[in-house]
Amino acid sequence: MTLLQGVLWGMIAAFWLPLYPTLRRGDIWEVMLALSSVATKSSLILLMVSVIRDDWMMGLVGVITLSVGNAGFMLLAHLLRRLGQTGG
Amino acid sequence: MDPTIEVIALLLPLTAGLLVAETNPYRALVIRGVFGAMSSLLYGLLGAADVALTEALVGTLLAVILYAVAVRSSLVVRLGVLQQDFQAAAPEWVTLTTALQQAFKSWHMQVEWVPYEQSQALERALAEREVHGICTRSPTAVIQAKTRVYRLYEILQQEGVVPIVMYDQPVTSSEEPR
Repeated sequence: MTLLQGVLWGMIAAFWLPLYPTLRRGDIWEVMLALSSVATKSSLILLMVSVIRDDWMMGLVGVITLSVGNAGFMLLAHLLRRLGQTGG
Repeated sequence: MDPTIEVIALLLPLTAGLLVAETNPYRALVIRGVFGAMSSLLYGLLGAADVALTEALVGTLLAVILYAVAVRSSLVVRLGVLQQDFQAAAPEWVTLTTALQQAFKSWHMQVEWVPYEQSQALERALAEREVHGICTRSPTAVIQAKTRVYRLYEILQQEGVVPIVMYDQPVTSSEEPR
């Protein structure tokens, strides 16, 4: 259990990292990368916690968020690409 | 409370502050997606699986996509041109497009050219509100703009990109009160 807790703390530390590109005034695609990173990490943290707590309900939510989040991300990326507006 | 939940909950006000401080609507949309993913994770960790799913599906996915479409359709300036005048690669049009994009940049608006075959069709498009303004060539080959949106007139007048006039709306029978 201690090992799993350590992995969870590492995941949460990594969860803070994508905040940096959203702070910077750069390209919008960097923020999109941060979005994909956060969306994937949040579902993986949820899966990890569901394993630690042995809770299938949270695991199901994590799986659904993972799959739907990717689909929504692709849709949003396609819309933004069609806009042709990439500058900040 | 579990300390991991507190560390994740700390992210929410930070991201919300970033979201409120953002001025570019497109970037704000994407940051809204980040915020939605974070809050969905927090709801899940607190044991509210239904709220987490709703936040992920409706709050993040649907709202962001719908707002992207709304921002796309409201922050575009549609300018009509004559097909014979308009050559996208010609230097004067490239200069004009660049200057217009520069002028509209601080308002996060984009310029979209709508070509028309005949000048009557162009005038009718302006009258029937298909386009926000039109760009025509005068006999001396100077590009002029005419718009029906007063705010557009103000912005372009202020930036001095292109000579612009307001469209005088004729009173037609269809616009009379019924």
